Amino acid sequence: MDKGLLAYLLIPLLSAVIIPFAARSRARLADILANVTLLAGLLNLAWLALRPSVIAGGFADIPGDGFSLLLVGAVYLVGLCVTFFSAWFMEDGQANRPAYYSLILASVSAMTGVVTTTDFFTLYVFIEVLAVTSFALITTDESTKGIEGALKYFFLTFPASALIIVGISILMLSLGSLSFETLRIFMASDVPPGPVTFAAALIMLGFLIKSGVVPFHAWTPDAYQGAYAPVSAHLAGIVTKISGVYAVVKLATLLRFFDGRAAALSEMLMFLGLLSIAVGALAALRQKDFKRMLAFSSISQVGYIVLAAGLGTPLAIMGAIFHLVNHATFKTVLFLNSASLEKSAGTTDMEKLGGMEHSMPWTSWTSVIALLSTAGVPPLSGFWSKLLIILALWEAGLRGYAALALLFSLVTLAYFMVMQRKVFFGKKTQAAESAPEVGAPLLAPVVLMSALIVALGLLFPYFYAYAKMVAERILL
Amino acid sequence: MSVFAMDWYLIGLLFFVGFYCMLASRSIVRQLIGLEIISKAAMLTVISAGALTANLVLAQALLITMIVIEVVVVAAGLALLVKTFRVNGNADIWRLDSLKG
Repeated sequence: MDKGLLAYLLIPLLSAVIIPFAARSRARLADILANVTLLAGLLNLAWLALRPSVIAGGFADIPGDGFSLLLVGAVYLVGLCVTFFSAWFMEDGQANRPAYYSLILASVSAMTGVVTTTDFFTLYVFIEVLAVTSFALITTDESTKGIEGALKYFFLTFPASALIIVGISILMLSLGSLSFETLRIFMASDVPPGPVTFAAALIMLGFLIKSGVVPFHAWTPDAYQGAYAPVSAHLAGIVTKISGVYAVVKLATLLRFFDGRAAALSEMLMFLGLLSIAVGALAALRQKDFKRMLAFSSISQVGYIVLAAGLGTPLAIMGAIFHLVNHATFKTVLFLNSASLEKSAGTTDMEKLGGMEHSMPWTSWTSVIALLSTAGVPPLSGFWSKLLIILALWEAGLRGYAALALLFSLVTLAYFMVMQRKVFFGKKTQAAESAPEVGAPLLAPVVLMSALIVALGLLFPYFYAYAKMVAERILL
Repeated sequence: MSVFAMDWYLIGLLFFVGFYCMLASRSIVRQLIGLEIISKAAMLTVISAGALTANLVLAQALLITMIVIEVVVVAAGLALLVKTFRVNGNADIWRLDSLKG
């Protein structure tokens, strides 16, 4: 456990315990408590990492390996956007407010635990906590679809947990210890890897199922589409990324793929990454529901991260880390916009929507920014992360992979353009006539995230310095 | 056959039974039971690994934590089962097909 960041785990947990008691008679108090907790944590993190003296010193004196700090920042940012959005999105008496905010804070706390732990067993414990809070959150509005999505998620993630446990016990047999550091030292030595790579492969398989990479993606669209609207932003933006993809990237750095000691595993991972880029993008082209299309797009973007993690060179790991953060920003914007559409027009079916930009200009333009960033159009942040990943592939001599990754980036642009034309541009349909723009409080998180997408793209040199420092610290 | 080989033979058997139970049955209750069998098999691997490496103390500590997590997971699964039954009037996993595309 990284002691420097322990407070970011404990304070939301404390808040989660306090909220049901404090807000028993006044439900609005739950909104305020949750938002204040997350905002305070975010300001504290910004002070820790973005002080002028830290930036001038090249980010040398931040605690831990920098990777966990960055992801704790992303967790708090998405958590704050989601709680702020839901404070105005929820109608009074519709759902159990104190329980909802308690669960969001518990999941933020569990995610902080996942990104700061330093051994496999603690990782497993926090991932289970995260999974249990996600089921409860998906079914917040008690709709049939939500329960169905949660049930599918349940029956696919727990066999994955069993695989992780078996991997952990084989690691105990062959390595004698469960800490990340032992595995890293072992992989750097000359001892034949044998059962250790087998154990790592089992653990990685479990996490691939949890992150929804293609052969195991069946639960992802259902869970995202069925979930309560702000929860799907939370789930797609950060929860599944932390519970699955983060662990895959971490394992890739621990196994030192660039050494070629676990070459078979590395190749397999890259193949699965490319497969999910392709299948996710092609399936997204023919979706009729906005949220379901976003879910398939999410599978495709996760593919880029897994592909980069499978390559494992410092440049690729930098790209993976940056894409993980970018994915959190643009997917949160798009899913929160779909929630706004659902509230205003009453549907997310792309056939029924049309011409929404006349009545909802802010929602329309923030969607444009987010989708251009997802597709990798310069100078937005998504361009830089995809550039890093494709450059790393080219540098490693994998020209075919690089070309295909570039090609499917164009497919991303295509399906998002189709979406934008169907939903926001064109003639007004019946649903759009009676759909007013949502209020300023619901737009604030989306506008903040869009500003962040532009800022990360324009201030890329600073971020590059940070990501380079992180990649060097976790790889060497 | 050594004790270790017997352990893992039993574990493999339990895994098979659990996965078969999950694949072959339509009822969500049976699926949950299959899931439980799978996770019990996974727990046995931990205790077997601990016994073999003479590290039973660690293995027991891990196992107790896993059992606690297991209880929470089963509670969540049963809650989902009850909700599904109330909404749909049945617990048939093949009838959960309202989401597609």
